[in-house]
Amino acid sequence: MKKISKILTALGSTTLLAGVGATGAHAQDEQWDTAGFVENATFYRDGVGLSKSRNTGQFEFSKDFGKKFGMNNFRVSGTLRATYDAVYDLNSEDYGHDAGGSRSFENFGSTTAQAIYGGTDSPWGQSILGNGGPPGAIPPGFLYDVSSNPNRGLKVLGEDMHDPMGGVTIGVPVRPCDKDSRGCGLDDYMDYDTNDLRFPEFNDELDFIRELYFEGSVPTGDMSEWFFRVGKQQVVWGRTDLFRVLDVINPVDFSRQNIYDELEDIRIPQWIATAEYRWGATDIFDDLNLQVVWNFDQFRPNDLGQGGTPYSILDAGSFFRAMNNCWENGCTVSNFVPAGAIGLDDPGLIAADFAPGVIGIRKVDMPSGHDQGGIKLEGVYKSVGFSLNYYHYYQQLPTLRGDIESMNAFTGEIADWDHLIAFDINFPEVDLFGGSLDFYIDAIKTVFRVEATYTQGEEFANSIEPDLYSESDVMRWVLGVDRNTFIPFLNKKRAFLISGQVFGQHLLDHELEKAPLGDIGMPDWEDNYIATLLIKGWYKSDTISPQIIMAYDYEAEAGTVAPSVDWLINDNWRLIVGFNIKFGDGMGDQEFDDCRTCNPFPPFTASPAHADPMQSGSVGLSGVQPLGRFRSGPLGSASEEDEFQVTLRYRF
Amino acid sequence: MFKKTATTLALAAAIGSSQSAMADVVDNSFYPYKDGAPSFPGLEVGMTINASNADQFKDALDPATYEQLKNGWWEMQVAETTSFDLYPAYVEATRSGMGKVSLGDELGQINGFVAGRPFPEEPSADDPRAGEKLAWNYKYGYNWGDSAAIYPFYWKYRDLESGKVERTLKYNFHFLNYKHRVQHDPVPEFADNPSDLFRAIYVQVLEPFDVKNTQLLIHRSSDDQTADNTWLYLGFQRRVRRLSSGQITDAFLGADIMIEDFEGYNGRISDMNWTYKGTKNIMLPFFNHNDLELATDLVESDGYQFVDFGGKGGCFPKITWQLRKVYVLESDPIDENHPISKRVHYVDAQTFTLPRTLIYDRKGDLWKSWLIGQAHPDHHLEKNKGTGVSIDDAFSMLDIQAGHCTTGQFKGQVDPELNQVKLFTVQNMRAKGR
Repeated sequence: MKKISKILTALGSTTLLAGVGATGAHAQDEQWDTAGFVENATFYRDGVGLSKSRNTGQFEFSKDFGKKFGMNNFRVSGTLRATYDAVYDLNSEDYGHDAGGSRSFENFGSTTAQAIYGGTDSPWGQSILGNGGPPGAIPPGFLYDVSSNPNRGLKVLGEDMHDPMGGVTIGVPVRPCDKDSRGCGLDDYMDYDTNDLRFPEFNDELDFIRELYFEGSVPTGDMSEWFFRVGKQQVVWGRTDLFRVLDVINPVDFSRQNIYDELEDIRIPQWIATAEYRWGATDIFDDLNLQVVWNFDQFRPNDLGQGGTPYSILDAGSFFRAMNNCWENGCTVSNFVPAGAIGLDDPGLIAADFAPGVIGIRKVDMPSGHDQGGIKLEGVYKSVGFSLNYYHYYQQLPTLRGDIESMNAFTGEIADWDHLIAFDINFPEVDLFGGSLDFYIDAIKTVFRVEATYTQGEEFANSIEPDLYSESDVMRWVLGVDRNTFIPFLNKKRAFLISGQVFGQHLLDHELEKAPLGDIGMPDWEDNYIATLLIKGWYKSDTISPQIIMAYDYEAEAGTVAPSVDWLINDNWRLIVGFNIKFGDGMGDQEFDDCRTCNPFPPFTASPAHADPMQSGSVGLSGVQPLGRFRSGPLGSASEEDEFQVTLRYRF
Repeated sequence: MFKKTATTLALAAAIGSSQSAMADVVDNSFYPYKDGAPSFPGLEVGMTINASNADQFKDALDPATYEQLKNGWWEMQVAETTSFDLYPAYVEATRSGMGKVSLGDELGQINGFVAGRPFPEEPSADDPRAGEKLAWNYKYGYNWGDSAAIYPFYWKYRDLESGKVERTLKYNFHFLNYKHRVQHDPVPEFADNPSDLFRAIYVQVLEPFDVKNTQLLIHRSSDDQTADNTWLYLGFQRRVRRLSSGQITDAFLGADIMIEDFEGYNGRISDMNWTYKGTKNIMLPFFNHNDLELATDLVESDGYQFVDFGGKGGCFPKITWQLRKVYVLESDPIDENHPISKRVHYVDAQTFTLPRTLIYDRKGDLWKSWLIGQAHPDHHLEKNKGTGVSIDDAFSMLDIQAGHCTTGQFKGQVDPELNQVKLFTVQNMRAKGR
């Protein structure tokens, strides 16, 4: 009801705004400029089946009212979008109310498990160190109520990408939150029910209003003017494609199709005010302007995709949901404890059932300040386009802070335990300093685009630190190169666009140390590079446009190749057919310290490799989960998401 | 004493004679029909040239037009040759600059030019750089005056065989000269012009949806040897991208036209070798817009109607043609990788517009036939009267090899208010975009 009320209010405001303008203005445009489309995007995923059946209707409108409210060219613009993704109905076995099932969890090399279960896997909630252990001998921190946290509707974290391989895995509830509320306890964060997933725009933030803003200019001279734009909008900084180095003002929705949708379609519009002073040409610059941006909207993070949905970048949504379920209801974790550590004559590892409030993710702390904003000086000097940027914002990717109180699984004591995988989600404040350039070198007929940023305040997972995270300043840069080149044997009359980019990231405060059983510290690479290449051609008056996009993550050794053909059937109909194929390493090829040997409850959790059993801290036993995803990156962690994609659009 | 007086008189006579000669040069250049219209045997006002009589008038037609008429693709209505007088201040600027302008040592260099037509003298076949001088006359021509807009501008992509209209794009085009201005303030140039720009072109796509909000901005330096700066704003990316010159010589938004084809030739003098091939009288698409039978499908709210198209595939404007004096000018690209081997321009001697251009592919075969119909400003929109601008009013770019054409229907407006300098900035593209 609350949603409907908000929607009606917003629609009413839109109509009112339009109506006021329309009746009182000396209109420059006599009519509203309107356009829109309806579209179906159907994607088929290898090994899964239908992964998307998204039906979209979008309507855009704008009108120039001429001089109004003291401004020239007063214009009102808006974009409405409604989506119904039928995949949750058509493929409910994978993504809807029938998704998941009962799962068992690995006890790697455990002879005890072999004896009890007839194999190395034990069912959810029936671990040897847990509900399946000897009654009365199991500490309270290793018991949970399976009747309220049953073995159904589950997947094993990462099961679509890799086997457990002796590492930790957790059970992930994968059904929409109205069908299974486990792991949906993070307030307004990854807690979508079926209708939220089917109709993602119809939420409390009124995302069906993609944009609604007014703008106008106030001349201050022949060349100079103030320009204002206020409302729900996208503010785009930067000069590069795909990578968001400077383009950080709006968060993005990766749940639509990972990193592969146009940013135009996945930026999450925010209520933003911009004021720009445009000098135009000056004595020195061909063009110069200063923009001040204030995002006065409520903070929203990137949408990473909920666990159990088709597009969950880095599979982070699954991890968060699994961990929230651990905190609220308890959970089973595979291969967590050496069997010998609990007195068994067994060389293997055994799964453990954790009670609620021991490990997991407790809550999410959303920033409440409406204080994101920045400034950009942009211009053209001697044919070189440039910008200098500063932006203060909240990190749009979540960080896990381990400084919360939880229960010692062995003693029941409540305290803030160092090196314990019990977290709150935070979005720290970040200061970004950056700049960009573009220039053209005629001798080689090539355009160069450069962006670089330096940020302070970002936080990263760090298994060395007692709270399992630390800050690092970060340098990021992108070099883009565009060249139009004839490839005569493919097309004698029309050049191909060849566009390459290299993205680099350097963590200035990166920490990585050798420990007895492996590396500990930050799973993110200290230095990493991702390269992209686009080759695009046009035929038949540009109505047929084949292209191939390739991307490769240097450290993850993972890549994507996405060939497609875009057919503009006529001014109304457009068909895009393509593939998205991954190659190289997958998530299963990346391991990192998983904190099984973090010894959070000394001395009970100390391993033989701990020099001081009373001292918490990791000795580096590693697995794919949960931190391998950071080393796999968005390409490697989606290695099993090869797709055939068809999009049909009708424009009006 | 007598000797001194005689010398003085002789000098005065010589100067007077020289001034008179210079005046003749300018008058001959700008008013070639002052002593009467050219003629061609058998050609009469009001007649039609078509497949049945094309051979008779072959020498009064460019080769592509002859072939089209001979093939019966369309019929040419012959009208009276009329004078398209350019704006008087432009003519006066030419007079002021007479004898002060010279070519530099290198292609693309010019010295002493202020405004007007740099080289009003008749080209000479004996002058190895005559073609280059004609190219300069075109570059600094009064094409669209100091500023103008095509507002709006419809492009239709058509199949020559079936006549099917595959795409219709609606644009606004804006042109602004930063320097060498003669009519609208500031004259002769803008004060704040740190990159010493000569001209800018700004294009905004209004329809259809897939290319809506696409914008193009071209900055052309006064120094012809400096490369143009070109930016493209793509609506779906919401980003301004700088274009490489490869995109200048590529089909623009799928049309049969490349950016370099705009206005007949939209590039640098220094990108081409220029050769003057002779002077002749041929039929050119010059007409009075208001006297035509106009299109009824795209009527503007002010009642303005666009030039209509017909003939084979709907690729040919329904206009009238005049027998006019032309300079035949050939340009061949210096860049070996350029997609064409040469253009042959039929330069209208009076206006220095490029109403007919033939474009040849890299093998040397005729590839495209480029027509830009010129409307007299006094028979067009009310606001265009007296502007002395030969109004680009209809175009057809016919890809003969592909059997395809792109046609253009203009609403050209010589109106400084539509072309304020702040429109021609990169930042304006971001603001106009969404």
